[in-house]
Amino acid sequence: MSGQNIAFLIVLTAALGLFSYNIQRLVSYLRLGTSENRLDHPERRTWNLITIGFAQTKILRERGAGLSHASVFWGFLVLTAGTAEILLHGVWPAFSYEAILPRPLWQLFMLSQELFAVVVLVAVSWLLWRRLVAPPKRLQGKEVHGLEAVIILCVIASLMLTIYTTGGLEYASDPSVRATQFGWFRPISTGLGALLTSIPGTHVAHDVSYWLHALLVLGFLNFLPYSKHLHVVSSLINVWFSNTSGPGQIGVMRAMDLDAEVEQFGASDVDHLSWKNLLDGYSCTECGRCTAACPANITGKPLSPRKIVVDTRRRLMEKAPLLAGELDVPGSAALFLDAEGGKAALGNVLLDNYITEDELWACTSCRACVTECPVSIDQLDIINELRRGLVLNEGRFPEEVQPTFESLEKNASPWAFSPADRAQWSDGLNIPTYAEAFAEGRRPDILFWVGCMGSFDDRAKKITVAFARILQAANIDFAILGQEETCHGDPARRLGNEYLYQMLAKGTIETLDRYEVKTIVTFCPHCFHQMGNEFPQLGGNYEVVHHSTYIERLMDANLIPLNTEHGQRLTMTYHDSCYLGRYNAVYSAPRETLKRALPVLTFVEPARTESRGLCCGAGGGRMFVDEKVGKRINVERTEELVATGADVIAVACPFCMTMMTDGVAKLEKDVSVLDISEVVAGQLLGSARTA
Amino acid sequence: MKIAVCIKRVADMGARFQIGADGTSVSDAGIKYDMSDFDEWAVEAALQLNEKHGGGEVTVISLGPDAAQETIRKALAMGADKGVHLKADRIPFDGFAIAEALAAELKDGAYDLILFGRIAVDSAAGVTGAMVAELLGLPCVTAVSKLDVNGAMGTAERQVEGGVETLSFPLPALCTIDQGLVTQARYPSLKGIMAAKKKPLESKPAQLGAISVSVRKMELPPERSAGRIVGEGAAAVPELIRLLQTEAKVL
Ligand code: SF4
Ligand code: SF4
Repeated sequence: MSGQNIAFLIVLTAALGLFSYNIQRLVSYLRLGTSENRLDHPERRTWNLITIGFAQTKILRERGAGLSHASVFWGFLVLTAGTAEILLHGVWPAFSYEAILPRPLWQLFMLSQELFAVVVLVAVSWLLWRRLVAPPKRLQGKEVHGLEAVIILCVIASLMLTIYTTGGLEYASDPSVRATQFGWFRPISTGLGALLTSIPGTHVAHDVSYWLHALLVLGFLNFLPYSKHLHVVSSLINVWFSNTSGPGQIGVMRAMDLDAEVEQFGASDVDHLSWKNLLDGYSCTECGRCTAACPANITGKPLSPRKIVVDTRRRLMEKAPLLAGELDVPGSAALFLDAEGGKAALGNVLLDNYITEDELWACTSCRACVTECPVSIDQLDIINELRRGLVLNEGRFPEEVQPTFESLEKNASPWAFSPADRAQWSDGLNIPTYAEAFAEGRRPDILFWVGCMGSFDDRAKKITVAFARILQAANIDFAILGQEETCHGDPARRLGNEYLYQMLAKGTIETLDRYEVKTIVTFCPHCFHQMGNEFPQLGGNYEVVHHSTYIERLMDANLIPLNTEHGQRLTMTYHDSCYLGRYNAVYSAPRETLKRALPVLTFVEPARTESRGLCCGAGGGRMFVDEKVGKRINVERTEELVATGADVIAVACPFCMTMMTDGVAKLEKDVSVLDISEVVAGQLLGSARTA
Repeated sequence: MKIAVCIKRVADMGARFQIGADGTSVSDAGIKYDMSDFDEWAVEAALQLNEKHGGGEVTVISLGPDAAQETIRKALAMGADKGVHLKADRIPFDGFAIAEALAAELKDGAYDLILFGRIAVDSAAGVTGAMVAELLGLPCVTAVSKLDVNGAMGTAERQVEGGVETLSFPLPALCTIDQGLVTQARYPSLKGIMAAKKKPLESKPAQLGAISVSVRKMELPPERSAGRIVGEGAAAVPELIRLLQTEAKVL
């Protein structure tokens, strides 16, 4: 072993030691979070790792930047193998892949190194140009570490360049290896080397280049734990542990045991979040895809889902070292604090000191952020837990929400309507209730769950009637609960009031079980999601079908007698409801239903559609919270829908209906907003009205 | 400061009422119960006073059947410290009988301040508070819209026709709380609800006075007949005037 090898060994050991110390430290901070099992369904998790992690499917949702980043990522995977050789070589000069691999394979390996380095260089140059010259909006904002990103990109570029210089200088300085080690499989190094042969001092230059490369690698490695580039280490792990693309039903709020003897309900600080929420913090790349898709952020509200995640990390990095007494950890926030400052910092909380109440209440729970995040972070889970913290521990929420809670308690509906009026819409329509059917000894096939909007809102009641007419025309054996229908509590749950939610949900489940209900059809995506996907947490198991899917099935079975005469050609667009689309991946059923009901339809899509559809602004309990700041979300969305040139905006959700109708009125446009069931009912044979 | 708040459990006013079989009471069917709104504001006022001045204790007292305990628990969940349930089979209409039972409970409590809602939203009599003050020999201010204490003195504001009256009085005293003193009573958090389960709630028989006033008969107001649309715009005016003259006889 030469002196140089020994020096290298010392540097390598120190660098790996520091790195592993830092990783252990970061892992130990995760223990501050609450426990949660994320080892279930390993096959599904591994599939996510392969598709979202290695194949980069989510990052590729954005073409340009996505492809550049994916190139860097794939380049890194390939080049890491080369890096391992380079580092080993420093300690043990005799080691090389050439010695252990068959020559053709080794040549292929060398070629891959040279070529992927080019790919990475090109991608990095483009990313650098974009950061410095034309930064997109999503890369701006005060929580973004922009300078850090630039430094990292420069380091990566230097790493690539030193691969070539090291190779080229080896060629130039040592004629003995030229024949065996160089050739077509190392085109750039060979070419570069040929240019350098006549220059003196290439031997020393080679050693310098080699050391530079190795030190950059080790420096980069040790910079990661202190920076947003920690995602290089944690994001693949995060993707494996994430539930945002399954396993399990997506979009379901965490189950909560309200009888547990606990001091804290929901979360106010990082130690009330789960370790997975904290790992999300480590994994955030600050790419801003979430914030760029966030309807609240787009319309000028104080919420940025990226900031929620970055704040979670910042607070963890403040609190965890203080608790561990690691005041001397290099780079931790605590480094800059004396004992006094440390005490004060310990008194901070995530809520209020980092994330304000206004940010949390601005969220429509639309899941756009979760859908966009390339590393499968669950921003919404953190928001929901913090909302629960606000409501359940402190009774803190916007004052206009109190009547909603009180009405839910007293009237089992978010609005102060008498429960006795729930089925008023059905007067004279000859629709049986379960009570009536049971009295006659009948067990209806289908429960038509009307929902609070469909029962009490004047506009939505027309949807109710339209859908009931379709069911009648198709001769479905259905019934309603009538006055016995009660809100399932979803609005309360989304607003953080888990206590009220569970009270209502359990009451509803009791009614459903009493009537032996098995299949439920509803036109409200919130009812659909809540009863179908979240009721199982409380022991309510039913097949719940959204009316878009149900109507499509009836059409498939030719059960709906439709007027097939070609009417006037309409241009129609469709607005995706979040709880139908992103929560339940129902995209084609409503579109198919519309196209089949109106064969001469010109169907147009808005700019943001399907999984990218913009929220109407009513979800997450926002229906009951005043929208005081910024542009109205429904106006932003309606503008986009109207810009398609459509005569009709079709919706599949009574909440979207309200928001779009208001939007159209505000814009003073002559565009009608119809529920898909109204479009279909208008085409029923023998119906007076056509859409 | 020791504050007592007397609260009443009442039917939710949004409900559709039916007369009970006895013809003198409201039928229970489909009715939800809650604390009377004014009483809720009184509890909130008491909590705010103690928060402002620090320390102190808020006791809520309610007379009625066992279900009244739920209403007391709600006040405890809001933040009151202890509850007293004065058990009676039903709440009589006679305010004086109730006042005697409450006074008997309040007299040895050494309260600095006793609060009532201005009226109970179901009976709307508004007499019990004043009667209790009389029975206990305390100064009484009704329909208070602003309240504060300073040492052994209290100040209160009352909205009167066209203006505001500011009054002062020595403690102990009794006030009945009007709308407007607080914008909204606080919503009990789950933490509050859990804590309320562990707070003391004492139940004892109400020492009701002799009942001299009772309800003989209850009737629902006559149903309103449906409206009629005569027509639209100026063309409808002559017909409207004709109907107002001949049918409604208001012109
Ligand atoms: S769920 Fe929607 S509104 Fe809420 S933070 Fe995410 S993108 Fe924004
Ligand atoms: S949370 Fe995900 S989408 Fe948002 S900035 Fe971080 S990595 Fe990007």
